[in-house]
Amino acid sequence: MKWALIAWREIRWEVFFDRASLLRTGIFVVIPLFFVLSDRDPGRGAGGDLRIVALALQSVFFPALSGVALIASTFVAEKENGTLVPLLAAPIQDRDIVLGKLVGMLVPVMAACCFTLAAAYALAGYRYGAERVTRILTPELVYALVVLALLFVITAGSVTMIVAARVRSSRAAQQLAGLIIALSAALFLGLGFAAIQIGQGWALVAVGVGLVAFDAAALEIAQRMWQRGEVLARA
Amino acid sequence: MIEVRGVTRRFGGFVALDDISFDVRPGEIVALLGPNGAGKTTASRIIAGILAPTTGDAVVDGVSVREDPTAVRARCGFVTDTPALYDRMPLRDYLAFFGRLYDVRSPAARAAELAEQLGLTGVAGQRLGAFSRGMRQKVAIARALIHDPPVLLLDEPASALDPEMAQTLRAFIVSLRARERSILLTTHDLDEAQRIADRVVVVYRGRVLRTGATSEIRATGRPTYVVTFTGDAGRARGALGAAGVDAEPANGANGCSALRFATDDPANTNAGVLRALLDAGVGVVTLSAEERSLEDAYLEILREAKA
Repeated sequence: MKWALIAWREIRWEVFFDRASLLRTGIFVVIPLFFVLSDRDPGRGAGGDLRIVALALQSVFFPALSGVALIASTFVAEKENGTLVPLLAAPIQDRDIVLGKLVGMLVPVMAACCFTLAAAYALAGYRYGAERVTRILTPELVYALVVLALLFVITAGSVTMIVAARVRSSRAAQQLAGLIIALSAALFLGLGFAAIQIGQGWALVAVGVGLVAFDAAALEIAQRMWQRGEVLARA
Repeated sequence: MIEVRGVTRRFGGFVALDDISFDVRPGEIVALLGPNGAGKTTASRIIAGILAPTTGDAVVDGVSVREDPTAVRARCGFVTDTPALYDRMPLRDYLAFFGRLYDVRSPAARAAELAEQLGLTGVAGQRLGAFSRGMRQKVAIARALIHDPPVLLLDEPASALDPEMAQTLRAFIVSLRARERSILLTTHDLDEAQRIADRVVVVYRGRVLRTGATSEIRATGRPTYVVTFTGDAGRARGALGAAGVDAEPANGANGCSALRFATDDPANTNAGVLRALLDAGVGVVTLSAEERSLEDAYLEILREAKA
């Protein structure tokens, strides 16, 4: 359970005491809520319903995007500052370090995602009518959006870990990770949109399985890249 | 306590360590010396179980780094050359965090004990980012000692410390030797190594050039002698030259001049030197063996290796 110690330290001391990170996350939380408040009339019919779904999608994904900088600081800055060596010198496995850091990054980002989605849901109910919002944003769809955001954050984390293991500075890592994560965000949003269009059936299951498989592959590659010998050789 | 057996470490095509072997016994401080890029840090990291050797093995307190690196890490305290700390954490939380990672029974109590030992009690609640360089180095040492390890690996522990702080740190390291800890000290500070190291290992380009007691290493090469005298230095040097002794000026004191010379046969040469100087009318004050510093011996070893 050493990973839990590492995760808790990350959350308590690195996330909540990083004012820049908090401010960035706060902005990414507020923006989608502003979209909901500013969109007075999404319109009737399927088009309007899709717009409400899109607002929900934005609400859950915007804070997830803000997590990119958090992930970069979690992995690369530790390597850059030299604080990784004492951690590697402790009697813990490499996977505890990777898991601890990943969970330490996932929990606050997902908390921000869920909070924003919940707030957007409540605001949308107030603006467009609770009955309509409840009908469109079913519990299954809300759950799917949260899972989609979780899978995206895991992918972003894995990609950043891969980049972090190869580069020497956080600036280089952020540039590279930003590029790759923007592409993966486009891929995820495309898949999410396709899933909404498909609606149900085996095709939707296949999309879900594809996402999980993509995530598992990204995590496995990241785990292999994040070998202490490799990381230290490039430190 | 530490046995390094034929360790080689490659990073791609680069050979950082090439078949090195040495040991550190309980209650002993061994200085690992060498120029930048010699492989000292790589050797320390392998012994600490942070890096795996490509070939060979290191055994720490009876545990092989190849077979159980995690158990080796539990037996080592590792201090890096730059005290990299989590700046947002207060001292007591930082030490307690590492205490938990090392499965210390009462991490908070142990953290408080170490803070007291290192004179950091008054700042236990302060964030590490506000600490001076010297205090940060003390924190790094406290972190390395949090689990009371039998083996300590110190990489430039006193670099960039002021002389008073460096002396306090040296005294602390020596007190650990008295408690039967095995200490491997990686340093460029040869004066520090001379003061506290029992033995020395000199590495160059990934290979061990010389190992031995500090006094043995200092005695490496031809013994040198210094003769101090009153009178004309030129005449004295000429007299020694005529006697077949090649002398060079040395630092005199109390109004005396001094010459230094090396010899493999001091019994005959020194007598000849005295005779030649007295015959030339030079007033000899002292003739004594010169104690070489570790730095001189180390530089000579490196010169030989490069030649």
